Amino acid sequence: MTSKPRTAEQLDARALARTRLEAMRRRTRRIRRSVTGLALALFAASFTIVYVQLASGHDPALVASARKRAAAASAASSSAGASSSSAAGESTTTGESFTTGESSSSESGESSTGASAVTTSQS
Amino acid sequence: MHATSANILATAVGPHLLWLTSRAAGIVALLLSSLSVCVGLLIGGRIVKGHRQELRVTHEALSLATLAALVVHGVTLLGDGYLHPSLGDIAIPFLSGYKTLWTSMGIVAFWALAVLGLSYYARTRIGVQRWRRLHRFAALAWILGLAHSLGEGTDAGQTWFLAMIALAVVPALLLLISRMLDSATAPQAIPAPQAARSATPAGRPGARAVRPAAVTRAGVAR
Repeated sequence: MTSKPRTAEQLDARALARTRLEAMRRRTRRIRRSVTGLALALFAASFTIVYVQLASGHDPALVASARKRAAAASAASSSAGASSSSAAGESTTTGESFTTGESSSSESGESSTGASAVTTSQS
Repeated sequence: MHATSANILATAVGPHLLWLTSRAAGIVALLLSSLSVCVGLLIGGRIVKGHRQELRVTHEALSLATLAALVVHGVTLLGDGYLHPSLGDIAIPFLSGYKTLWTSMGIVAFWALAVLGLSYYARTRIGVQRWRRLHRFAALAWILGLAHSLGEGTDAGQTWFLAMIALAVVPALLLLISRMLDSATAPQAIPAPQAARSATPAGRPGARAVRPAAVTRAGVAR
């Protein structure tokens, strides 16, 4: 089985097709590389933004949870202060409530509101 | 001095490293998927003429990069010291107790994007027209992902996040709306074989493969 000899036109067409295919493959590789680069650059940028936000103390989740904690602490200490003041009003104050109030005020600066509430109740 | 501040930063960020990675990967996934939706809509639309092959390759690369970013987004959460999610929590909808609805939306969006995206490689088995019809739901999965990021994302309220997302999401939404309006106002598609018969001159069987696509482009099956 012998194949017919190809004409010059056919050979040209094949060469042209091969060139076009090669060019398309090159373009495909270039696009894939660009997209990979874009994805990595976007990741680096997003990570940096989120990292700087966290390191500078402006992270939305951590700020929100810190606020929640502070609010809970102040609520707890104010309710403790209210109970101690009512107890003082009834002249049944024990040393324990004062000790608790003092220790909470000296333990952390975060509960400064609570500490002042305790001081008020003490005075 | 610099070493000390670097140490302090490392100590402060260290426990949150995987969480930060997950957040960054989620943002990247949303941006890439938005770009992918844009390019996908441009392939079938009338805005860009020509360059179909380049657009198709770009769409494919963006979709694969989106899936990779989503895998990183989910897998890094497994090491998060605050949530401690299990594999089921990040892979099965309605299993996680943390913001169940938003989390489930994200999980469903991921699986839908994975199935609808990767099915491209089996489209000859599925049937090209059927695959195209199915592939339209990828836009819905993208919208679910967008809702997940806005509803549950830690940075959802931040100006930089909203600006970054708007840059990528608004063009995609506009293209999607324009495509839907196009589909709604376009005349009913002629059934493909009939259209081919009516549009193809006799004795040109090769033209049959071209004409139905041209007819359906204005109609339903894009």
